[in-house]
Amino acid sequence: MNTDIPGPGPGEPGGCAHGIDALTDYLERDMLPADPSIDDSPECQRILRSLRRVRALAAPLREADEAAVTALDQDWIRGIMENIGREAKAGRDIPFAASDDDAALVITEGTVRGLVRGAGDRTPGVLVGRCVLEGDVTVIGEPIMLHVTVSIGWGKSVAETVSLFREEVAASLQQHTDLVVAGLDIVVDDLHFEADEIGEVGDDA
Amino acid sequence: MRTSAGLLEQATDRTLVERCVDGDTRAFQVLITRYGRMMKAYAVRLTRSSADGDDVVQEALISAWKRIDTLEDGAMVKSWLMRIVSRRAIDLMRQRKDTESTDDAIIEAPERDGPERKAEASSQLGALSAALDRLPHGQHQAWVLREIGGYSYEEIAEQLGQSVASVRGSLARARATLVKEMEGWR
Repeated sequence: MNTDIPGPGPGEPGGCAHGIDALTDYLERDMLPADPSIDDSPECQRILRSLRRVRALAAPLREADEAAVTALDQDWIRGIMENIGREAKAGRDIPFAASDDDAALVITEGTVRGLVRGAGDRTPGVLVGRCVLEGDVTVIGEPIMLHVTVSIGWGKSVAETVSLFREEVAASLQQHTDLVVAGLDIVVDDLHFEADEIGEVGDDA
Repeated sequence: MRTSAGLLEQATDRTLVERCVDGDTRAFQVLITRYGRMMKAYAVRLTRSSADGDDVVQEALISAWKRIDTLEDGAMVKSWLMRIVSRRAIDLMRQRKDTESTDDAIIEAPERDGPERKAEASSQLGALSAALDRLPHGQHQAWVLREIGGYSYEEIAEQLGQSVASVRGSLARARATLVKEMEGWR
């Protein structure tokens, strides 16, 4: 396999008896257990050095490739966003109780999720992840459960922050929907660093 | 007051993925900003073409959005996205190969000859980049998947639809050529 490598070929005097494949495996297992037929062969050592040098260039090459992509084209991103925008995840239609007009007014599940995310945005230290509406939201007055996962800003009081968020969600849903929320289940499943925190740490230093 | 877009940039990958599952396109845009360049660089390296790289990443992102609910652990979104890029790039190259029925040994002239490529040519990295561009298609893909993508032989075999032995053979030939071409740079 290593006949393309300059220098003596396998079997020739001073040649390396091992192929590139075997030498790469040896390199990848940190040359353990030691193989004297490789370690004591100058020609094998020479090929190993070359292999190691090429391998060591892979990470810098990846970095250089990424650096060469100066910026993503905004039109290109817009095209993708328009495309995925058509793949709407609106979910179920949720009716309003007080629609005595002939036009049945509804709000979508997706919009309700948006309201919950918005409540998170207004609560300092909260970023909403998932929001699942459990129960038959299509029936007016049917009690439902709301399951929400949130990420809390590093250093924030979890109990206090969750309590504030709970109030925001309740107020928002009461204002914008006729949902009867029997329970609001909030799970803190992540922590994130906030730019303000990072800034404060920097100022102190 | 901070904008919600600014807030989202602080979100962890997991939170962003959860929001995407719920249909929050802004969260997806933050993921694109976070990993798009990395995906593009990898796609261009795999396809050896800037235009193909753009197409591959675009398709990969649209596909990712459609099935982001299948991602079990949102914290793994980066490697998940890179894997989708790999697959899309390989599919594209396979279609090209089928339509042009080119022999594996025939090398297409790479399109990546912009100013940054020329500047690289004087460096060791540039020499490696140029040597990679000259490798036959199959060897090139196997090497990039292994050394840039970080995949195991088994994963590469699965992605390329080849046997592990065949992948090992391609990699050995690629490495032999690269070692030879990089001799002058020691």
